[in-house]
Formats: sequence, structure tokens, C-alpha cells
Amino acid sequence: MSKTRQNILFLLNNRLTEIDFSKPESPGPTTTVLNYLRTHARLKGVKEGCAEGDCGACTVVTATASENKLVYQTVDSCLLFLPMIHGKQLLTVEHLAHDGRLHPVQQTLIDHHGSQCGYCTPGFVMSLFGIYKEPSALPIEEIKQSLTGNLCRCTGYRSILDAAKTIADFNGKPDQFSVSETNTISQLNKIMADSQPILIETADQVYLKPFLLQDALKLRNLHPDALITSGATDLALRQTKKHEKLTKILDLSAVSSLNYWLEEENTITIGAGIDLETLRKRSRPHLPALSRMLDVFGSKQIRNKATLGGNIASASPIGDTLPLLMACEAGVKVQSADAERVIPINELFKGYRKTDLKADEIITAVIFPKPLAQQLIRAYKISKRDQMDISTLSVAFSLRLVDGLVDKLNIVYGGMAATAQKATSLESALIGKPWNEEHVKQATAGINDAFSPLSDVRASAEFRIQAAKNLLLRFFYDTQNEGQ
Amino acid sequence: MKTVTIRHNSAESHVTGQSVFVNDMEISSSQLVGRVVYSPLAHGIITQLDYSEALNMPDVAAILSAKDIPGHNQMGPVVKDEPCLAWPETMFIGQAILLIAAETMDAAIRAEKMIRIQIEPLEATLSLHSAIEKELLIAPPAFIRSGDAESAINLAPYTFDGILETGSQEHWYLETQSALAVPGEGKEMMVFASSQNPSETQTIVAEVLGIPKHLVDVEVKRLGGAFGGKETQANHVAAWASLLAQATGKPVKMHLFRDDDQLMTGKRHRFLSKYRIGFDKTGLILAYIVELNSDAGATTDLSLAILERAMLHAENAYFIPNISITGKAYRTNLPPNTAFRGFGGPQGMAVIENAIDRIARFLEMDPAMVRKRNFYGFERNRVTPYGKEITNNRLHVIFERLTESSEYFQRRVEIQGFNNKHKYQKRGIALTPVKFGISFTTAFLNQAGALVHIFNDGSVQVNHGGTEMGQGLHSKMIGVTADALGISPDRVRVTPTSTSKVPNTSATAASSGSDLNGMAIKHAAETLKHRLIPIAVQLLVSMGCKEAKAENLIFERNLIFDKNFPDFSIRFEQMAETAWKNQISLSSTGFYKTPNLLFDRKTGKGNPFYYYAYGMAVSEVELDVLTGAYTLLRTDILHDVGDSLNEDIDIGQIEGAFIQGVGWCTREEIKWNEKGFLLTHSPDTYKIPTINDIPVDFRVSLLRDFPNEGTIRKSKAVGEPPFMLAFSVWLAIKDAISAVRQHRVEPAFTLPATPEFVLLSMEALKNE
Repeated sequence: MSKTRQNILFLLNNRLTEIDFSKPESPGPTTTVLNYLRTHARLKGVKEGCAEGDCGACTVVTATASENKLVYQTVDSCLLFLPMIHGKQLLTVEHLAHDGRLHPVQQTLIDHHGSQCGYCTPGFVMSLFGIYKEPSALPIEEIKQSLTGNLCRCTGYRSILDAAKTIADFNGKPDQFSVSETNTISQLNKIMADSQPILIETADQVYLKPFLLQDALKLRNLHPDALITSGATDLALRQTKKHEKLTKILDLSAVSSLNYWLEEENTITIGAGIDLETLRKRSRPHLPALSRMLDVFGSKQIRNKATLGGNIASASPIGDTLPLLMACEAGVKVQSADAERVIPINELFKGYRKTDLKADEIITAVIFPKPLAQQLIRAYKISKRDQMDISTLSVAFSLRLVDGLVDKLNIVYGGMAATAQKATSLESALIGKPWNEEHVKQATAGINDAFSPLSDVRASAEFRIQAAKNLLLRFFYDTQNEGQ
Repeated sequence: MKTVTIRHNSAESHVTGQSVFVNDMEISSSQLVGRVVYSPLAHGIITQLDYSEALNMPDVAAILSAKDIPGHNQMGPVVKDEPCLAWPETMFIGQAILLIAAETMDAAIRAEKMIRIQIEPLEATLSLHSAIEKELLIAPPAFIRSGDAESAINLAPYTFDGILETGSQEHWYLETQSALAVPGEGKEMMVFASSQNPSETQTIVAEVLGIPKHLVDVEVKRLGGAFGGKETQANHVAAWASLLAQATGKPVKMHLFRDDDQLMTGKRHRFLSKYRIGFDKTGLILAYIVELNSDAGATTDLSLAILERAMLHAENAYFIPNISITGKAYRTNLPPNTAFRGFGGPQGMAVIENAIDRIARFLEMDPAMVRKRNFYGFERNRVTPYGKEITNNRLHVIFERLTESSEYFQRRVEIQGFNNKHKYQKRGIALTPVKFGISFTTAFLNQAGALVHIFNDGSVQVNHGGTEMGQGLHSKMIGVTADALGISPDRVRVTPTSTSKVPNTSATAASSGSDLNGMAIKHAAETLKHRLIPIAVQLLVSMGCKEAKAENLIFERNLIFDKNFPDFSIRFEQMAETAWKNQISLSSTGFYKTPNLLFDRKTGKGNPFYYYAYGMAVSEVELDVLTGAYTLLRTDILHDVGDSLNEDIDIGQIEGAFIQGVGWCTREEIKWNEKGFLLTHSPDTYKIPTINDIPVDFRVSLLRDFPNEGTIRKSKAVGEPPFMLAFSVWLAIKDAISAVRQHRVEPAFTLPATPEFVLLSMEALKNE
């Protein structure tokens, strides 16, 4: 590593912008893009509604150059640290109107009366712009998926949804951004040509942003105390909600070699840095249970930033994907500067938000055994609200039947204990038995002994126990196609 | 009557991000940020306040406590029982104790961490149940009675008694409470507020600063949502910012973080209601005794008026000959509960709607038919419990049209078929009505003022007492002004609501914004027209229209002409310029008060409402019997807005209110811990509806051909009434739960009917 870089470069709308964090008047490196836009860039169209990625009033769009195309993503700017937009184009609501004319998404929203008090509107406009910029016209379910991360308390959404349907039909129509796409890509590629890590050190914060895996591993070795982040959809809350000072961060979001999908004969390996929205689409045909779980994971803005590695490393007791990974007996590949190993995910979690990871290790991939033909895998999530809600409980099942008998069964519950937990006693009660309603019903009684869940703000223990039992039944009926 | 279609007047600035909210304003580079330090304890006596270290920190400009308030330490809007800063008693978690002004929010937070507050705990009352047990009434009980309910219940063939609890609700306006206070010369104070009630904000600011109101100007450009949450409680942040601004001599902006806003501010009142209802085998209700108990929180705020509206809506759309309604509001150590769309109406109605549902299940009748059986009538059965006669009853026509358009009866049969076939999915359907009284029940508040300027280029500025919070009031007022003056809407601009333009206004609340301000504007415009007509006649005569007569003049399409000689016309701007040169005043105020309103709280009788707004909804849901999860399949709404002032805006109000009501009835659940700390203090745990929670099939229509005589352009208020249409969803869920046992057993039910509650209710039915 030669001289250290302390600056970031990005396009703020169409203007090449540099922030040199070594300058005393610069914002700190964990300044959120939201606060930067409102306070430093004086672009106040973007709004803070919750500062935790739930309401989407702060939605902006980033464009990233990838294989000579621009990939547009909606993101919650309240959870985005400034260095995360290095090498990207950051688009804000002020920039959509062009040559004195509204962008089609703006005009359409007005035509459908989709704005009342106006506070959520800039965020909706940016999410609608994201729909406009999708590679292909979105079907209705995907339109809703694109808008669940934007809350509106005035309209009741019908008008916005109608506007969004119209906008989805505009797909592929050129606008000023497509006209200048080549130029934008070349500017972004120029920025990204330099793969020296960005190492920011201010009076009270260190922010490390490598681009190559080997640099990331070296930095991890040098800074075992750094908080690792990629999307910051969880970490940023410590700053925005608890007003903590985050003193040292290792940001893996730009390590492109962590972002991959590799299908081999018996396994699918998923890079730890792949964003969950991409993973949701990618896994649809191959790992449908995972894909469907991701349908109800956060919002599009969150999934565009959050990663599978981050979800695992946070070791949440709920961690929407974790029960599924455990039921599938996935392996977690971890690397340090001089070694790598694969930890079976069932051995990874050591307690509430604790993992077996060593101080110098980074999760680099998740290895899924490919589902076998006769293997049934399902995951279920229960939450108060279907979308954009943390699980009250979740469960994943992996079942193999041989001649109508249960040959192999994994049942993993989330939200029932301090970590996601295998229901071993239930599994053993069913293994070797015929897969029928009688046995399954008998087995559900074992839930009472296997778990003593908490009553908390999300639900009572009584509900959790009952729902946990019922979900085993639900799985049974779904496997019988009798769920109806 | 021509209708002018006007889009929301801020639509273009909203979609381009140009709309300015208080938190977007920067008055000067010396502007400070304000922060509230609040009580961490639900009830106690402050024994020590130590902030000397914090005050010495860099970038901290001031820290204020109760002793630094120059005026009255009070901000109660009606009853003066709410200190601006707590001292020495703290009454709830979230009650302001200290105010910090600092250069940046970071500095304010650093300072806050250095402050030491010691509080000696006192016993706290944290549930409505315990407040009732301890009889902690904030005011004597109130009564509305008609007939002899006790005797009639005893004589009724069938009776039920029961208890219904209805939950609280967080407003969740997207823009949290904010204010910017700018000190002027001497003791002048300019406040840019996000308040539904600028005049009251002015009052409270003047009182805490200890200055007369004429030194305080309050301006409201727009609010980022309010829903009642900024009717009184926006005064707080304005008062705090003003105190800091006066103390530092610098502009101070205060914008609450979301979690602080949710923790500190009051919400919809939760109610615990006890009822007895007597009926016959045809479903006719003979008597109803109901006691409505509300959780007021720590101080009075608007709780008594809200309780009163709950009582005035306890019978909803039904004639009940013998009725006894009791209202009690209790004090707890929680943030003072406040106005929220419906203002008690929903809590009052929920009880009777649930009771009727129960009657129908018991009698094995269709609940819609039991409702219809009890609707207010035309000739007979038309007097409300408080003695007002119902005229222009729209219940029957709406019922006929909606049951037909929604195919309600046919779908009920289909649902029965579906439920017979599906063990683990159950569907339910419900039709519910709303009859909502329009007017402030505190009669003198039904007044409004307006100020209209015609400039000599023919453009027009309007100012009125109403605030724009997304509901489209300003757009409607543009329509009213344009219509009254015969000019195109683009010639009219509504200027920010300001206490220095229209004084002594009422809150924009009670759905009354258009009714009251529209009439005031119309009166101002009529005054101006009256002054302009002689000028117009002169101009017409001088251009050859010798016979032009004042009484024949028409103002239309920016022209003025005699209806008998339409070939001669003058342009509006020509008339304005001529009037100016003839030294005619082109500015006028207008004033309106709603006639003949009176409600006697002692007797529980009177005429509290100018008219009623009606609506009905049919909703169908599907439940997952194994998880309690539900989907809203379809909702049909038919709602009465008289002759709509603006159909697109009215439909937006109906849809928005309905979905907000669905949130209250289904997933919005407020939880406190055993210390009175709000657990659901952020959107992480408090779940308002998303785009995914609206009906898959959502059909909203306006009732046609029923103009409302005596109001602005024969329209009706629309803000609140559709909120209560969400009971159709609530009771459709109950219908689906009840299908688990073929509707033979009354299920446990509450509001909100969360998926958790629904599952446990179904499990209990299965095991019964």
C-alpha cells in the first residue's frame, strides 16, 4: 500500500464531488448520506422520518457502473455512511426534473393525486424512479415490493400504487439519465480504477474501506477491534438511534470479490457480500425457500444494502435467514489473512449475538448443499405486519421422505430462544415414523418442553408456543398440498 | 354548479423536493438547535437538577429549567394542568424537564449526557384498569340519557353485557413535531410552527414568555401530517423553542427525533367500555347502557371534549329508544392523550358495532340486517339520545346502493361455501355504517375568518384560519375563491396561515376546515364583489352596454358581464385596476359562524352538530387459521360528502382515513413496560400500514346527487368520518374467527385484532 487515501469521490447528481476527510471542515466518515445531503450539500428534498430505515422518507437512488451498464438501486440514506457512495452516482429528488420539465415519475404521481402532506413524497418519488429504471417492467407483486419500504400516513397508498403501475409501463423509455449513461459510466469507472484502500483517520474515528479481499483480510488482521460492516443496515442504528460514536469501521461493501454466486455439482456458494435483493432474485429458481424468505425480509431499500454475511454475523436470535441456513446445513466460509475454514452453521452461534468467529476472520461465503430431488425445504415467518417487520418467530424445515417415512428432518426455530435453535427433540420424535397428521400433531406437543420463549414487545410466549406448533402443522399440510 | 378540478396546490413542489417544512428552514447562520431532556420516571419528585457541567461544554448556548420560564409554566390548552417544564413533580416518562440550546445536535446530545437528574419515585398509575380501581377521575362523570334504559333492559327479551377494550394509536405523522422560533426586536417572537392551531400556539408561547399575544407571530406554511397530533401538542415544541430563543437571543429550531416524538407525545385514548344491551328476537335494540372509560394520561389536554364526542357517537347510526351513556376520563402516569382523527367517535362507536355483531351471532341473523333494522328512520325513530332530530338521513340509500354494488348478500353465501371447504383458511365479511356529527362540540369554536386581497393586476391572495396538513384544504379554498370571484384557480394563491393575518382562529380540526374557512372566504369574496360591481357596471356602460345592471352581473371565466348582454364583457384584471384607480378597497376580511349550535353539558341535550356525514363500507378478509395472519381481500366504500368540493381530494381523504383506521383496528399496538416506558417507540416495533396492507381490491365511491344545503357549495366535511369505516375490516376479521366454530360461539375479541390476538382467539374457540 503506497500513500493512504483519505478522500472519496462520487457524482452528486451530475457533479463530480470529492470529500477529503483529512480536512478539518469535512464531515466525519460515518456521517450519513442523509445528513450530508441536508446539512452540507443543502439538498433538503430528502427527509428524515425515522432514522432507522423503516419509513423510506430518506430514499435516494445510487447508480453503480457494472459491465457497461448503470445499475440503479434505491437505498435509505439515513443508514448509509458517506464512504459507501464512493464511486457511485448519488441521485436526489431535486435532480429528476430536467429542462424545466418534471420527470415522468413525478408527473405521474401528481396525475394520480399520490401526494398529500408531501413529507414522504420525495422518498416515494425516488422509489418510483427506481421502478422506472428497472431492467424490465415489474409485475404488480414486485411493484409492491419496491414500495413497502416507503411509509405514507396520508393517502392510503391506492393512488401511489396506481401511479406506480403506470410508471412500470414506462419501463425502458429514455430519460436524461439514459442519454448521459455512457459519460456517467466512464466517470465512475475512472474513480473505481484506483483499488488502493481508503483509510480515513480523523480525531475520533477510523474508517477503513478496502476494495480487494486481500486488503480486507490484512486490515482485519491489523484492526481486530474494527466493526465490520457492509450495508450498515443494522450497525448504523447504533449511531442514529443510540447516538453512539462508532470509533472504528471496516467497510467491506466495495470488496467486489465477495459478491458472487457459484453453482457447482453439489453446492451453491454465495458470496457474503451479495446484496439480499440480488440474492432474492438469483435464488428464486435454485433455492426458492430462501428467495421467498427474502420476499419478507426488510424492504427493497434495506435488501439493496444488506448482505447474507451481515445477517449471519449479526447472530440475531431471529435473523430471518438463519433458521433456513441451519435447516439446510449450510457451511460458512471464513477467511483470515493466512487461513480459511468452513464452519457448519449449526456450530457458528455461541449465544445471544455471539459467533465462533476469531478476531481476524471475515465471513466470505455461504455454501449451500443443493437440495436433493426428494428433499422438501420450507421457511415460514410470523410477524405482526406481513412486510417490513422483524419476525416474531420464524422456522425452517428440511425434510426427506423415503417410502413415506421420515428419513431426515431438520427443524430450526428463530425467535424462540437466545439464538436460532434446532428443535432436536421434535426431529427425533418424527424420524423413522410415517409422515402423517397424527404423528405430526403428536410431535407438536414437544414444543412446550423444547422451548421457553420470552414474552416481549413483539408477542407473548403463549402465542409463540402456539404458532410454533401450528407452523409444524402448516408445513405438514403444505407438503400434502392440503394446506387449503 | 360548475366543478373546478384542482390538484393539490403543493403537488409540484412536493414531487420535486422544493416544499419547505419547518425542519428545512434556515433563518440565519446563528441558528441553534433545541433539545428536550425528559423525565425517565413515570412519577416522582425531582430532588436534584445538576447541569452546570453540561452548560460549560463547548457549543452549548443555554440550558433552561422551570425556574427560567419568565411567564406561566403552563401549556394546558383548556385546563391549566400541564406544566411546560416539570418541577418538582414529574408525571410521565417523556415529560420535559430541561431544554438545551446548542450549536449542533451532537453538542446538545453530548451536553445531555453530562446532566444529572435525581427523582424520588412516587407511586405510578400505568394502566386504565388500575386508574379505574383507584377512581382517579380527572373530572366528574358526564351523562347523556334518553328514555329509561334500566327498566327497558330488565324488560327486554334478551340482554348481553360485556366489556370492550380499544387500544391507543400513535399518530405517526411523517414529520415529527417541529418549530423554529426567531426572536425579533424587543420581546417580539416569530414562530414557524407545524401546528394545527396557530392561534393557540400563539397563546401558549405568549403565556410562557410572559408577553401579550401581539408580540407573537405564528406562521404555518404546511404540516407534514398531523391527524390531531398537532392540535395541542405542537404547542409544546413551539413553546420550548421560543423559551430557548428568548434566552439566547438567537433563532432556535426544534425537531424531535422519531423515538422521542413517540415517547413524549400523547396518542389516541385507549378506552375500557362496559355495556349492557337489550334486544328482541328480530334484532331490534330496546335499550343500551354504556360506560365509556378513557385513559386521559397525566393531564387533561383535550380529553373531556374527546370523551364527549365518544358519548355523542355511542349509538352511531342506530335509533335506541332507551339509552344511558356515561363518560369518565381517568388520570394515569402516561403522556397526555390527545386529539386523533375521529376524536373519540371511533372509541364510542366500536362498542355498539361489536355489540350488534354479537346480537346477530346470537340470533343467527346477518349482522348487516340487524344494523339496517336499527338505523335511524325518516318519520319515526329519528331523535338522538341528546335530543337532536336527524334530518336528511342518508343511511338507507347508502345501504341499498352499497349492498348492491358490493354484492354483499351474494358474497356472504359464497364465503359460507368457501369456509365449508377450507379448514385452515377462513373468510369473513362485514358491513358497517358511520354517522358522524360535524361541528366542534364546544360551540363557540365554530367560527372562522378569512382575508382576501385582489391585486391591481387581477391576481388574488387568500389567507384563512385553516392549516394545510396534506388534506388539500388550501386547494379546496383556492377552488372556493376562484368560484366566488369567477376567476381561474391559477389566479389564486393561498398564503401561509398566520396569526397576524387572521386572528383568534380555531384549530383545523373536527373535519371543519373547509366548512368554516370556505364560508369565511366566500363572505370576503362577496364583500369584494359588492364593492366591485358598481365599477364593473360603469365599465360596461362606458363600452356601450348601456343597459348593464348591477343585479344582472355575472363573474365567470375571468370576465364580468351582464347576463342579458353577454357580448359585452370586461376582464377581471381590468376591473381590478379601475377599482384601484377609483380608490376602492380591494382587500376584505370575511367571517363565518355556524348557526344555532348549542350543547348543554349538564343536561346532555342540545344541538351539537350542524349536520352529519354518512358512509358505509363492506370488507372481506381471509385468515390463516394456523398463524392468525390475515389478508384484506376487498373493500367497497360508499361515502357521503354532499356535493364534493374536489372529488380527487375527497377520495384521497376517504382512502387515507380508512387505511389509518385499518391500522388502528388491526396491527397498530401500543405497549408500555411495567415502569410506564413506551416499548413501541419506533417504527421497528410500531407497525402502521404499508402499501401491502391495503385491500387487494379497493373500491371507493362518493354518494351522488345528495347535496348538503347550507354549507359551502353544498359540500360535507370528510376528514374524520371515513376513519370509522375500518370497523368493516375489524368485524370481518371477527366473522372469520367465528367461522372456526360455524358462528355458533361468540369469540373473544378486542381492538386491535392483531394476528397474535386472532390466533389465540381461534385456538380458544377450538378448545371450547
